[in-house]
Amino acid sequence: MSLLEVDGLTVGLERSPHSLLREVGFTVEPGEVMGLVGESGSGKTMASLAIMGLLPSGIEQRGGTVRLEGRDLMDSGTGEIHRTANQMTMIFQDPRSALNPTMRIGRQIARVIETNQNASREKARAAALAALSHVGIPGAKRVFRAYPHQLSGGMCQRVMIAMALACKPRILIADEPTTALDVTIQAQIFDLINDLVQETGCGVLFITHDLGAIAEMCDRVTVLYGGQVMETGSLRGVFTQPLHPYTQFLFDAVEREVDPRVEEKGANFALAGCRFGHRCPYVFEACGQFPPLRTVIEGHRSACFLPEEGRIGAP
Amino acid sequence: MSVLGPTSPDGGAQERVEGFIAPEIPGKAYQLPLWRRKPLLIIGLVILGIYVLLAVAGPFFVDDPRVTDPANFYQGPSSDNWFGTDKFGRDVFARAVHAARLDVTIGIVIALSSMVIGSAIGVVSGYFGGWVDEVMMRLTDVVMAFPGFVLALVLVAAIGNSVPNVVIAVSVAYIPYFIRLTRAQVLAERELEYVDGAKLAGNSPLRVAFRHVLPNSMGPSFVQAALVAGWAILTVAGLAFLGVGIRPPTAEWGVMVAEGAPDIITGQWWTALFPGGMIVLAAMAFQFIGDDMGAETL
Amino acid sequence: MWRYLGRRLLISMATVIGIVIIVFFIVRVLPGDAAIVRAGPYANEQKVAEIRQQYGLSDPIPVQFRDYISEVFTGNLGVSIRTNGDVTDELLQRLPASLELAFYAVVLAAIIGIPMGIIAAARRDSWVDRMARVFAVLGSSMALFWLGLLLIYFLFFKLRWFPGPIDRLAIGTEPPDSITGFFTIDAALHGDFGLMVEAFRYLALPVITLGFVLAAPILKMVRASMIDALESEHVRTARAIGVPYWQILFRDGFRNALLPVTTAIGIVFGYMLGGNVIVEFLFAWPGVGRYAYTAIQVNDLEALQGFVIVVGILYVGLNVVIDLVYAWIDPRIRLGKKVAA
Repeated sequence: MSLLEVDGLTVGLERSPHSLLREVGFTVEPGEVMGLVGESGSGKTMASLAIMGLLPSGIEQRGGTVRLEGRDLMDSGTGEIHRTANQMTMIFQDPRSALNPTMRIGRQIARVIETNQNASREKARAAALAALSHVGIPGAKRVFRAYPHQLSGGMCQRVMIAMALACKPRILIADEPTTALDVTIQAQIFDLINDLVQETGCGVLFITHDLGAIAEMCDRVTVLYGGQVMETGSLRGVFTQPLHPYTQFLFDAVEREVDPRVEEKGANFALAGCRFGHRCPYVFEACGQFPPLRTVIEGHRSACFLPEEGRIGAP
Repeated sequence: MSVLGPTSPDGGAQERVEGFIAPEIPGKAYQLPLWRRKPLLIIGLVILGIYVLLAVAGPFFVDDPRVTDPANFYQGPSSDNWFGTDKFGRDVFARAVHAARLDVTIGIVIALSSMVIGSAIGVVSGYFGGWVDEVMMRLTDVVMAFPGFVLALVLVAAIGNSVPNVVIAVSVAYIPYFIRLTRAQVLAERELEYVDGAKLAGNSPLRVAFRHVLPNSMGPSFVQAALVAGWAILTVAGLAFLGVGIRPPTAEWGVMVAEGAPDIITGQWWTALFPGGMIVLAAMAFQFIGDDMGAETL
Repeated sequence: MWRYLGRRLLISMATVIGIVIIVFFIVRVLPGDAAIVRAGPYANEQKVAEIRQQYGLSDPIPVQFRDYISEVFTGNLGVSIRTNGDVTDELLQRLPASLELAFYAVVLAAIIGIPMGIIAAARRDSWVDRMARVFAVLGSSMALFWLGLLLIYFLFFKLRWFPGPIDRLAIGTEPPDSITGFFTIDAALHGDFGLMVEAFRYLALPVITLGFVLAAPILKMVRASMIDALESEHVRTARAIGVPYWQILFRDGFRNALLPVTTAIGIVFGYMLGGNVIVEFLFAWPGVGRYAYTAIQVNDLEALQGFVIVVGILYVGLNVVIDLVYAWIDPRIRLGKKVAA
């Protein structure tokens, strides 16, 4: 039994026949960092919001299950996901706008502790201060009384991590946590997340478009394109032996030093079959059907009908 | 060597593999029909249509609004006098219908003239910037520091009571809204590439501003104009109610309400409440239209 | 924060000067002979000439402007043709009546508009939201005088729940000794609760009339800024970390929506200063609006000009107060960009 098990997650715009996420599935194990990688617009953030039960209005979940430690989080009556912050919590891309601008930092962390651990106001205060020091913020007392606009982006992300930490979650979802920050801050934030995993043994779903960050942080990887899982497997497996034409294309783009986002034509969400169908060099009749994920090598699955031998450059 | 070989993974590849093109699920995002998405717009247009019909054709079917009938004063609403009669025995319905022509026309004229003038100033101010812009903005600040109604009030009081003067005064009060709105649009619009294109094609700055930038910046102004038309009707009637601008015995809704107001406390409600209701319904129609077209309303 | 406030204060002062200049232009420079307007329709040549002399209207415009400016900025708004009284005094004497009416109207509008806006935003597209929208459109297309007449007809003439449109108190009732100028508060301060109730009964109809119309823009603004706040990233964070719904609604939603709402209330106040001419006339309320109405009827341009300047200054002054409130409730302005770490 995995810690987090997402299966067949399908999400779409209301009153539209097309799906923004189609049968997305992957697992996260305890103490593991699972990377979710894809171009912008591939549905990474949408998937995380759907798992959290935080889909914006106008977007509906059409199917799929989200299981935490074997328990289905979906309420079968309302079709909504019910989760508490100590089951699963999330940090976001832009930490400065993710914090309440009219509330002191200390209060924002303290209330997390109050609501999630039933602590008294006094206790929560002390714990919040400790949490701030814990994430390596110098002068925690001063930051405690500050407002978000008085802090740098890196500091705000540390505060966000401190807040997430205070929830004591089983799963932490980190949505591009360093994209909005300076490169020099990135390593520090990564270390902080790694430490968190070491200490608490929680699982992390790490979302990014940056393959370098994936290589640095993750144990396993899921590749997403056009709201469809293309490939999932161990970091080593996917990076050394990419099975799906899209994954190969992604690495090729890095090799040729072009940003995949520059070349992208944009995913076509109307495609009936494989979402990579309109860009794939190997497309053939079978691709008009939706390709299920199938295990190719132990622990390494790919959603492609092509036999591996048929591909150029295949191992 | 590249993993994918010499081909690039774009459209060209499709022809290579037996011309296969991945099939798509047909159909666009389903939209609700217009009357479900924008019910207020439809209701507003229908009401406005009735008013326009009333304004255009109505006066041919009702009596002269000035005809008095002293024997027949203060008659309640009946099949003969739908809206009753006033203290001079004049038919309130006939007067209200004649007033529709005047009031609806005034409302639309004010909205259009303040839109045209405001947009023209706004495009110059926004497109050319500099000291012209600075002066215009400070000026609109000052004008907008007056409640619009008070500004119109004192303007009419100073330049005299007449229909054209009311139109001028109320237009002046609404012009700053359009200056602001157009200017904001132009500021965003002038950064777009087609503007550079138009410049490079050798158009004069004025031509670029008025022929290229302005037409593309007018969208919000049209929506605002619908709201202003409604407010203008309210403002004109409000002025007339205070005895400013349009005066008795002209058949105008505000004048009629003012003349009928004292009757309320003696029980003849119809002389004031019917024409007043006509005003509110007309303003509401414009408000429905503007609101559902997504105007910035306040 | 002080730089921000200083800047706002400077702009306000510039606006006041602008108002004073514009009023001069409207009253003296625009086509239309100010002397003839002042003299009224039945005056003969000689009377017009007299008035021209009396008000210095034959002086060149720059001279008139200099005299006017020096008068206005020493607080002298001239002498009323109608009463021969000092316009400044007469306006100040009537101001408390207007302010009391305005105050309760805005309070009523806020009581209607704010909760309705919050519920409409929290339950988007529900029936409450639809009702709120219809209410808002009704409010913004309502004619004050029509609503006022409607209320007078039903609540006074038919039902006799409230007194008729006479004054602030019944004829013959002594007003309380002035402390604040608000009859309701003064009566309460003197311990005369019967009088206070009476003052409230006379306030009721004009306050409902104004309050209903003013509630519409407040409602719209609260709803729009609440929706913005509730869809913001920090509310998403609050939901992610498990903050309870009510706390999200008020602490994360409304507290942050409060900033645009204060601005809306300022604009509403400005709107009301114009609307009060109609409502005060309709309800025979002895405030500055009714003063302006009377001035218009007899072409008392001095009095009207004084009214407009006072209204303009009130509005600008109110905006300064709102800037202060804004600076106080928004830590980004209160603390500036002072970096903590």
